[in-house]
Amino acid sequence: MNRHSIYEPENAKILNIREQTEKEKLFEIELESGEPLDHDPGQFVELSIAGVGEAPISITSSPTKEGASFELCVRAVGNVTNALHNLKINDEVGIRGPFGTGFDVEEFKGRDVLFIGGGLGLAPLRSLINYVIDRRDEFGKTAILYGCREPCEILYEDELDQWDEMTNMDLHQTVDRCPEGVCWEGNIGVITTLIPHVDFDPDTTIAAVCGPPIMYRFVMEELKNRNLPDEQVFLSLERRMKCGVGKCGHCQIDGLYTCQEGPVFNYADVKDVEEAL
Amino acid sequence: MISKEDFEAFVERLVKEDHREVVGVQEKGDKFVFDELKAAKDLRLDYDVTILPPKKYFMPQRETLVKYKVKDGHKAVNEITPRIILGIHPYDLEAIRQMDKVFSDTYEDKNYLKKREASVLVGVNIENVSEWCFAGSMGTSTIEEHYDLMLTDIGDKYAIEIGSEKGFELLDEADVMEASEDDISAVKKKKEGVKEKFEKKLDLPPEELPILLERSYGNTDFWKEHSEKCYSCGSCNLVCPTCYCFDVKDFNELTLDEGERIRQWDGCLLEEFAIVAGDENFRENRYQRYRHRFMRKGRYIHDRFGDIACVGCGRCGSHCVPDIADPTEIYNDLKEVTK
Amino acid sequence: MSGKPKAAFFDLAGCEGDQLQIANLEEKVLDLINIVEVVSFREIMKEHSDDYDIAFIEGSVTNDHLAERLEEIRENASIVVGLGSCATIGGINSIRNSQDHEEVKHRVYGDQADLFPSWDKAKAIEDVIKVDYHVHGCPIDRDEFIHVVESLVLGKDPEIPNYPVCVECKLNENICAFERDEFCVGPVTRAGCDSCCVNEGTICWGCRGLIDNPNDDAHSDVLEEYGLSAEEVMKKFNLYFGWQQEARKDE
Repeated sequence: MNRHSIYEPENAKILNIREQTEKEKLFEIELESGEPLDHDPGQFVELSIAGVGEAPISITSSPTKEGASFELCVRAVGNVTNALHNLKINDEVGIRGPFGTGFDVEEFKGRDVLFIGGGLGLAPLRSLINYVIDRRDEFGKTAILYGCREPCEILYEDELDQWDEMTNMDLHQTVDRCPEGVCWEGNIGVITTLIPHVDFDPDTTIAAVCGPPIMYRFVMEELKNRNLPDEQVFLSLERRMKCGVGKCGHCQIDGLYTCQEGPVFNYADVKDVEEAL
Repeated sequence: MISKEDFEAFVERLVKEDHREVVGVQEKGDKFVFDELKAAKDLRLDYDVTILPPKKYFMPQRETLVKYKVKDGHKAVNEITPRIILGIHPYDLEAIRQMDKVFSDTYEDKNYLKKREASVLVGVNIENVSEWCFAGSMGTSTIEEHYDLMLTDIGDKYAIEIGSEKGFELLDEADVMEASEDDISAVKKKKEGVKEKFEKKLDLPPEELPILLERSYGNTDFWKEHSEKCYSCGSCNLVCPTCYCFDVKDFNELTLDEGERIRQWDGCLLEEFAIVAGDENFRENRYQRYRHRFMRKGRYIHDRFGDIACVGCGRCGSHCVPDIADPTEIYNDLKEVTK
Repeated sequence: MSGKPKAAFFDLAGCEGDQLQIANLEEKVLDLINIVEVVSFREIMKEHSDDYDIAFIEGSVTNDHLAERLEEIRENASIVVGLGSCATIGGINSIRNSQDHEEVKHRVYGDQADLFPSWDKAKAIEDVIKVDYHVHGCPIDRDEFIHVVESLVLGKDPEIPNYPVCVECKLNENICAFERDEFCVGPVTRAGCDSCCVNEGTICWGCRGLIDNPNDDAHSDVLEEYGLSAEEVMKKFNLYFGWQQEARKDE
């Protein structure tokens, strides 16, 4: 963290850009200092583009990743993210962070892990998925449920294939709909339709869920049907974290600050918070 | 103690000779504002309330946080003007105490804290009470610490209480004398007397607000009814001494190769405050935004920092054109309907 | 857009006061033409070209001829920006929208009224064509115009406030018009002018138009509570809001 101002971004360089879908790109970034970001899975950074502004972006790489760089998977949806999409390899950006409370990996250790990701929600989950993969012995069985609206929106296709081939890893995918002429052999239906097909023990399982706001209520209902206790579900929520440091107020969920107590929350702590879900 | 004559001479010397900027309460039309003093005679220590609180000196309405050059990256900026601020009422001093806490919490906001450090706070006990003020109910009509100096008008002289080393040093140049027993009891009487002057009152002790608000969160009808006339103009936020939310924007030079990142006061009553990328608005309805402000003042901040974040200055009520922002009315009504 | 984008300025029914604001940018004009190439601007240059990327359009649409011209501009330009109240919200021209058209024509043109065909209602340009961005105001704010140009050159959406003028009045520590026993439409009017009129001790007339979601019912009530008759309230709302009020009714 910068010593003289919490608002001063550190220079960083784009090392690599991989196109994911029409709207999403994966950026590999390294701080000018050469230091690793030193983040927890589920935390976020404030990405700055001089002259355009800052945007909060969840870190999609695991801290266990080799080398000092980290990755951000970014959808072009506003001024900052559009500008980022126009940048090239070796261009510079500013980074503040990592900020917020990520997934408490200690809570996950020794348990079976169920990942449920909708759309771009897979991005923050991937930091934890790869963490679990890199420290496989410390966790039990894992299952990944991943849903998108259409096959063209699927992220990390290469990686999904790898995950699918791993032993002890159960991958289920679905799309809400498949336009005519597009090849898709998997499940069609919203993500909740996958849950009944997954075999997990509610006593030993802990779930990490991330997706668009509308997804949570339905997913939580299904998990409840499967007797998974609220305390064993962690959610990553999206808000407009403008400062990232608990000051600007934009990310408040009733009395909670998404940038401080979140973006990863225990479901039991937010289920009665009206503005949360 | 200092005679009023000597006090004016002392302020005049500060204005002319001190290297710091001297600001104080002055007239603006038939209202009052904190502004740079050009002459001691402009100081109005008998004011009722200022339009904006002195917070603007530590967290200016618009403030540069970072300068950037597209080719060289970002550089933090903190434009500090050391100041002597004259005439802060006790409720505003309490608000500053709370803001000090907010900006030191977890991540220190040096832009605020350094400006705060470079300031000398000279308080004054309330002479005239604004019709909207209810500091008496909030326990903020007087304050015994968190100032550098505190003045009390007792006729032809001011009693001066010293709150800090900084305050003590400021008095170096002043013709002060020891207080007599009579002076001390006059100050005491003044402080006790002010409590009786407020027409606006809260019908419950402020400590009960967090519970009351928690219970009434779900009373949607109440919040809808009271917010029906809300303009979502944010005036109540913007004049509040304990509101500190802000927006951040980049402003480029026309050459497009450099510019400044600026923070500007923002307000949770404004329609777009809780919008995220992709245009989802997490507080879309007027009543939700309206409710959020009262929840924050009386409950959320209390849960986080232990303070009731309303100091009873009454500015929000007085600046609300449709007259729906007065906290005493809302909290008293809530008490009525929440049994 | 690669290279310097080409910009052209056009005027429909209006006073050209917004283009005058741009012509008066003085030394900043030089910086401006460093980032955009101006290919047409009747007020300051003779040359004209129909090869442009960004069209800035001043004035409202009041007859078929102007509407056709507007459609041509839309076809040529990749980005259309409304410039000033007449273009963005119908502006002063739309005062007549609530009056008898024949009477209005005769008041203006006398016996020769028939020589000037015109619609009975003045329209904002977005009533006729798709408009990408608006620079509001009567006249426009120079800094905001520069912000819009800069943003377009950088390929970003300009940030135009969607909150009322009250915000800027508070930041400027103005005494509220209502506290001076005056009446103001600031609480429903889009900010971005830095509350310039109120800073000078007058009131907000609403030249930047309504915010997206104004509480105008509440404002009518409030104005009446403060002692204005319903008719006077309508007048307050009609100086600039005529076209917008009607357009919102149609939604």
